[in-house]
Parts: sequence; structure tokens; C-alpha cells
Amino acid sequence: MDIINCSDNDLDSIGNSLSLSHDEMLLIRNYFIKLNRNPTDIELQAIAQTWSEHSCYKSSKFYLKKYLSNLRNERTILAMEDDAGVVKFDDEHVYVIKMESHNHPSAVEPYGGAATGVGGIIRDILCMGAQPIALIDSLYLGDPENKSGFLSERFIINGVIAGIRDYGNRLGIPNVSGSLYFHRNYNTSPLVNAGCIGIAKKDKIVRSRVQKAGDILILYGGRTGRDGIHGVNFASKILDLNNNENRNAVQLGNPIVEEPLIHATLELNDMNLITGMKDLGGGGLSSAVTEMLSAANLGGTINLDYVLLKDENMLPWEIWISESQERMLISCDEKNLTKIKEVFDKWNIEFSVIGRAEHKKNLEIYYKNEKIFDITLEFLTTTPVYQRPYKKPKKNCDSEPFNDNDIAKSIISVISSLNVCSRAPLVRQYDHTVRGATIVRPLTGLPNMETHSDASIIKPLEDSFAGIAVTSGSKPLLCSIDPYCGTMESLIEAYKNIIVTGSEPDAIVDSLNFGNPENEETMYSFVETLKAIRDFTERFNMQLVSGNVSFYNKNVNDIMPTPNIMMTGIIDDIRNAITTEFKNENSLIYLIGSINGSLAGTVYSDIKNIKCYKYKKSNLNELFDVYEIIKNNRERILSAHDVSDGGLISTLIEMSIGNNIGFNVNLNEIKMGLENKLFSEHGTAIVIEVPAEFEDIFNKKGIKLGYTCKNINVNDGNRNIFSSSIDDISNIWNSGLSKYL
Amino acid sequence: MDSKRAMVLRMEGTNNEEEAFLSLKRSGFDPDYVHINELVKRQKFIDDYNLIFIPGGFSAGDYIRAGAIFAARLRPFLNDIRSFIDSGRFIIGVCNGFQVLTELGLFFDGERKIALTVNESNRFECRYTYIKLSTKKVFYDLGNEPMQVPVAHLEGRVFGDENTIKKLIENDQILFKYVDNNGKYAGYPWNPNGSIMNIAGITNDAGNVIGMMPHPERVYYQFQMSGIERKLKNGTGERFFNLLYKYTK
Repeated sequence: MDIINCSDNDLDSIGNSLSLSHDEMLLIRNYFIKLNRNPTDIELQAIAQTWSEHSCYKSSKFYLKKYLSNLRNERTILAMEDDAGVVKFDDEHVYVIKMESHNHPSAVEPYGGAATGVGGIIRDILCMGAQPIALIDSLYLGDPENKSGFLSERFIINGVIAGIRDYGNRLGIPNVSGSLYFHRNYNTSPLVNAGCIGIAKKDKIVRSRVQKAGDILILYGGRTGRDGIHGVNFASKILDLNNNENRNAVQLGNPIVEEPLIHATLELNDMNLITGMKDLGGGGLSSAVTEMLSAANLGGTINLDYVLLKDENMLPWEIWISESQERMLISCDEKNLTKIKEVFDKWNIEFSVIGRAEHKKNLEIYYKNEKIFDITLEFLTTTPVYQRPYKKPKKNCDSEPFNDNDIAKSIISVISSLNVCSRAPLVRQYDHTVRGATIVRPLTGLPNMETHSDASIIKPLEDSFAGIAVTSGSKPLLCSIDPYCGTMESLIEAYKNIIVTGSEPDAIVDSLNFGNPENEETMYSFVETLKAIRDFTERFNMQLVSGNVSFYNKNVNDIMPTPNIMMTGIIDDIRNAITTEFKNENSLIYLIGSINGSLAGTVYSDIKNIKCYKYKKSNLNELFDVYEIIKNNRERILSAHDVSDGGLISTLIEMSIGNNIGFNVNLNEIKMGLENKLFSEHGTAIVIEVPAEFEDIFNKKGIKLGYTCKNINVNDGNRNIFSSSIDDISNIWNSGLSKYL
Repeated sequence: MDSKRAMVLRMEGTNNEEEAFLSLKRSGFDPDYVHINELVKRQKFIDDYNLIFIPGGFSAGDYIRAGAIFAARLRPFLNDIRSFIDSGRFIIGVCNGFQVLTELGLFFDGERKIALTVNESNRFECRYTYIKLSTKKVFYDLGNEPMQVPVAHLEGRVFGDENTIKKLIENDQILFKYVDNNGKYAGYPWNPNGSIMNIAGITNDAGNVIGMMPHPERVYYQFQMSGIERKLKNGTGERFFNLLYKYTK
């Protein structure tokens, strides 16, 4: 391709085909004018891959650096550096966490897109040298009744879930936590955020970089094929769903290639044979080799003839940027090659030595005895950075007064709504007990009658009772009204989910899903989100250790700002974990912390179509008080559940379902409108159950709502609001999703 | 040589091996991971072990009948396995391991008379349920109480023709049956897969080939259990594996 001499128009059309802008094409042209030659296909493709939004974060990097740099604490080992964050677990062990979106592939090919999202996130954890121990996924899906998209919503929903199920179950990594959220705003543009946690001895962590010049590079696992060509490029622009090429950009997953890959990789690492490691994800070899070499300030030589292929007719540039799955790249000392081969042979894993790191500035690539690539890594990795402009949107429409004259009916609508009802039809398709280390499961209580947990707890080590609690979710409706406050409330909810289990909040991972960054209002919501994450992390002395940004999520309009927050906590002894279901009749029920009262961005206002945008910030100091109360009274608390989706009434009903124990409460002491106290989802409030003997202690700490009993009865002063048997309400709560899954 | 050596057999896609290994170890066994390739290369030998445990998972992906490929790869060792069984030693398959033993026909002297077919619900079922001992051949120390166990499978529905089921009953080969939390026979979801006669596990005539869908290795301790059973002294797994150790020669 002649880019040195071609017209500006031709230059732009080349740029277009590679998702590169005019200015970016000019930079490339200038570089090659200095070299006095045109780029080869593979060079141009490699630049396009490295400079894509997906790979280099050109729209977000400036703001990420400004707001999210250095949010570390004394437990942080690696934050925002390698493929995943690394946090201290105990004196000898660390845990590794990461969450990533796989939105664009899932929109085009829901099953494959979601499955490879799981495969990719597991390799991100694996390449740090850690044993993957838990999967987490947060899904934001469209209205299941929508049939007008390129794919019907029902097809997307079931495809995504099946993809996650089939990949995770086959690998035997328990899927323990996450969230499931439906809204018409995600029609045709699903968000699939997959997270993973791993555990490792602290001296076994492997960096995502070559250690020294002379090290050889070994590519192993699945073969390289034409699947997943241009994956990063299509994820870096708005999807054109009628473009058939998009389907080729989605990778094909094969979990049974990945499963032995995990064993072999960990075995090699145990034997100290790996000096650096990266998984092959977006951008394929191009991304992995470039990043591993440039992070070490080295150059290198690659010979593409040695890459094992699915299809011998692949062009060299296709080999270089293919995103075929289940592949890993390690650097190692050549003298260990025999030992490495033995491990691969045991696990029937194919591998080849594809090149070597060297003391030089350039990366050179050979193919069929010809040098086809020779550019400096400095040019390749000095990626564009944009300080995208942003502006605050015009004010939301004004709130309008409303009148709810059938509260009991509204309670039923909220309980049966898609965003509140039982997740069991989904959760039971995922193997969440494999590895035998899931101590608090996503469902808790009497078998086959369970209710929702807040955070799940994993016990990663045989010889320690310490556990990792994990939760994940977001509040997109509130984020779309006020991105700062919506993000803050998402963080508050995650924090509450962790503390109600009796765990100590530890680390945050963000997966930021937004629309078009060239849209200034979308960029505003992005920047506000970052500010909230920074403010919260600093306020609670937590750590932000890894994350990802996904832009260009759009159907007719940009999707709602969806900052998905994954949070972990540490519990010193999993035997003391608190679960959500009521344990005994005649216990006392307390509200600790306070309900925000705002109905902005709630399930209630959404399903009742109430225009309600007023929101007052929750008090973070009070959240800290709630934390202290649980921490200091852990052994006195029988059960605890946070007030979130569906409000206080949903919290109480969920607590009663898991163990068939009802409640009799009076909401009189909560000073706000009845709808607000029942349905507001924001704020610092949690509900706890304590034995009656501790009444004096807890009377000073919160509002006594009532006691546990056989049936469900809710009063507000003298007025009876709602009564039901547990069976009736449980049937309603359990039936919400089964129609669609 | 006092130690009782347990082989935890695996191939690609076996993925329940760690909890199996740990449960065997906790109950006193000396467990050893053995990859099928190590048998093929004659680096390890079946006869060197006191017990064989085939863990759950998705061997080779289970893209065709679950367990079929693992069974096919074990078939060259069938004579070794037969003498292992004839010597009275235990071979136990859980979940995918049960499917493998079924494929090998080890419950009926080599005949593949029953199948583990797709769950009646037509979906993967990960849930806790209860089982009750049925046979008098083995595990008699477990008593008659319902025991909480997790299941997690897509193909766990025991299916066989009338004669086969009749023979299973006559020979007392039904090891465990699914029950509800009160110990009563109940339908779905307590019987998570629609198995005939609520069958959760079976044995061969001699009682030393054991196949079961539920996972005692996932609930060794009470804190791995769900609901009120978290207050018990020990988990189902501990009782199960301790007995297995006791019975192993």
C-alpha cells in the first residue's frame, strides 16, 4: 500500500479501513517517509492494532492517569500495571484480580463472545502465575421482549448465559458472583463483564514482560487461525451490525484446550521455568509480543514460520494479529527448553519457539526468509492520547409528583420485576461449587429454597480459614441521572455487600462501559465516574488495582453510563461469615445506617414510570459507622442484608425466603414518605437480625423495625401496608426470570 | 507400607480433582494425581494403588456422550482395572467419573446396561439436595439419615430398561437415592435430573465399584454445606471419605 505518496483522500480511506484517524495516518506517513519506504501490510496492521482504542486507551488514558493513578494502599502489590492486579492475601500468598468487558463480540455472536470473555479473563489471571479460583460476571442485557434488533434480545440473553456457563463449567472454575440487569437501553448492545480471581504464592507472581535479552519466546496452547481477525478494531468503533466481517472478528473458544493449559502453565511456573508471561487476547501476537518486549525495554526477532497454524494459507499479517483463543506466550531461558517440553508433552499441548528478545530498538519479523517487519518499538508503542472534550448535559427533565394508591400491588410488581426477582434460574446453570471452596454461595439458605447472598466467599487455601469475599454490580439508572452519584452509590452498595458478610473491604476493580467517547456528554459521564471512584477509594483507604474501559457501546443512543464495580473483601475466618437469610423466629430486626430516600434511578420509579430525579448525596461517614457496628458485633449478628435493588421491602422479603422465616415490622420510625422508605435503593442502610437478648446494645445503633415470625406483615404506624405468607411471595419472587431463561 | 494410596485419575477436562485429592488426604489416604498419559507411558501403574478415584469434570469436553472419550482412553487398561476390582479394591467415580465407569460397563460385568442421560430439565443443574443410603452392600455405617450433597451436572439421569432396573433392585445395587430435606422421596428439584427411582448412585454386585452423581468431596466440612447444616459437626464428605478409608484394604 502506498501511503507515502497517496492523496489525502486515499490516506483517509486506508485509515478508515483500519479504524485510524486522519491525524494518526499522518503520523504513520511521516514515520515511513523518514524510513524512505512504504509500510508492509503487517506493519500497518500492527500499528492499527496497537493504536486501537481497545489496545491503547487513547480516549481514556489522559483522564485515567489524572484521576485513577496511584490509588494504592499497604496491601497493594501490583496495581494498574500488568494483566491483572495483585493484592496481599496473607504473609505468603497474594490474590490476583481482574475484570474485563467483552461487549462487542457478545453483541455480534452472543455465545462465542461471552465464552471467550470468560476464557480471556481466566488467562489474564493465569498469566500472572496464579491459579484461577473464582469467576464473576456482570451482565447488562436488553428488554427480553424486544425482537426488533439484528438479533432478538432473547437470543442474545440466552446465548450470553450459555456461553459463560459452557466455558466456565468445562474449566471447573466456580462462577460465584456477579449481577444481572435488564433494561431496554441495552437492546442490541449487551454488556458482558467477566471477572476472575486467582491465588498464588507471592514469590510465584510472573510479570507481563521479558526478563532479559536472549530469552526465547514460546507460544503454546491453541493454534493460530483466522478467527478473531480485527477484534480490537471492531471493538473500537460503533458496531455496524450489518457488516458480515464482524462475525470473523469474534474468536472461537475451546475450553478443553484451555483446561490443560492452566495445569501446564502452573506446573511450569512452579518449576521456576517462566521468566515472563502474557496471554494472547485482543491484538493477538502483535499485542503480546510488543508489550512483553517494550515493557522490558528490549527489541527482538520473531519468525512467523514457526507459529503453528490452523490454516497454512494464512497471510503473515493475519498470523500476527489473529485473536485465536487459548494461547499463551512465555519468555524463558533457552537452557530450560527440554524441561519445558516434558511438561507440554504430559499435557498434550502444542508449542513452538517463535523468537527471541534482544538488545535492540527494533522488532523484526521474518516470514519465508524475508524480513517483513522492521520498526522501532518506541514508534509502535508511542500511542496517540486524546484529551477528549466533555460537557455537562442539560439538566434532566424535572421531577413530577406522583401518587401510589396501591402500595401492596407495587410491592408485588417490584418483587417480581426482572431486576429484583430470584437469580436462581441463572445461578443454577453455573457450577458455583466446583473446587469445593465456595463457602458463601450466590444462593444461601435451605437447599432448593435459597435466597440471594450479597457477596460470595471463597476459601482459597487448604491450610487457612481466611477467605475472599467478592461482589460485582452497578447502578446504571442513577448513573444516567448523575454519573458521579450513581458511581458513588454503586461503590456504596459494593461496600455494603462486603461488610454484611463480616468481611473487611479490600480492593476495587472497575469495568467502565460507556458510549461514544467523541460524544461530549458521554465523556462527561466518564470523567465524573472516575472522580467518584477516586474519591471513594481514597475516603476508605482502599485500592484500585485493575480495570478496563469499553467505549462505543451504542444502539440508537449511547448506552447508560455503566461503571461496573467489582469489590473484594477479606474475612479472617470463613466460619464466622454472616449470610442473608433469617436464622430464627423471635429475633429482632434492626435497620442500621440510613435509607437515602431518593427514588431516582430505582426499580420502583422505572417500572411505575415515575419521573423522579431528585437525589441527595449519601453520607460516607455514616457508611463507615455501619462498617464499625458490624465489625464490633459480628458474633451477635445472625443475618444481614443490604438495602439495594427494590428497596427495604425487597431486602426484608429476601431475608425471609431463604429459611422460611417471616417478619413483622413497623416502618414508623423511618422518617420519610412511605414509597421512599419502602423503595429507595440508595444510602448506607442495611438490615440485621439479632437475638432478642442484645436489644439494649442495638437500640443505640439503629432503628428497631420489628421481629422475625412465621408470616410477613408490614405496618407503617397504625396502617397495615402488606401481608403475605412466605410461600406466596416466594413463588412470585422465584417466577420472574423463568419465563425467559 | 501402611499408607493407603489413592489414585486421582485425570485427563484434559477433568476438573474436580483438587477437592477430591484434598478430601482423600484429609481422611488419611496418600493421594496421587495420575494423568492418563502417565499410564499410557507406563510411568505409573494401576496395581500400585489401593483405591482409584475418577473425579468429575468435562473430560475431553463431553461434546459427545459424557465420559465416552475418557472411557475409550481407559479401555486399553481394562484388564488391569478388572484385576484391580477382582482384588476387592474400590474404584469410585463421581459425576463425570460415574459417567466414565458407566461407559466402561463396570457395574454389570462389562456390559453397558445403563446410561446417564441429559437431565429432565434439559439444563445444567447446580444445586444442593439430599441423598439417603439404599444398599446394604457398602457404606452401612452411614445410617439412614438424609445427607446434604451438592450436584452439578448436565447428564446425570440414570436410565435403563425395565430388566436392568429390576436387576439393580434385586441385587441391591442402588447405592444412594435422592430425597428431600425430610428424607422423603420427592420429585424435581430434589431429584435434580429425573433419575429412575431417584437413583443418585449405584455399585457393582460386589459393592466395590461405586458411581454417583453428587459431590461429597465438595462438602467435606460443615462450613461448605448450606442452611442449617452449617451447624453440624462435620460435612457429608468427611463421613463419606472416612468410611471409604476404613473400608479400603
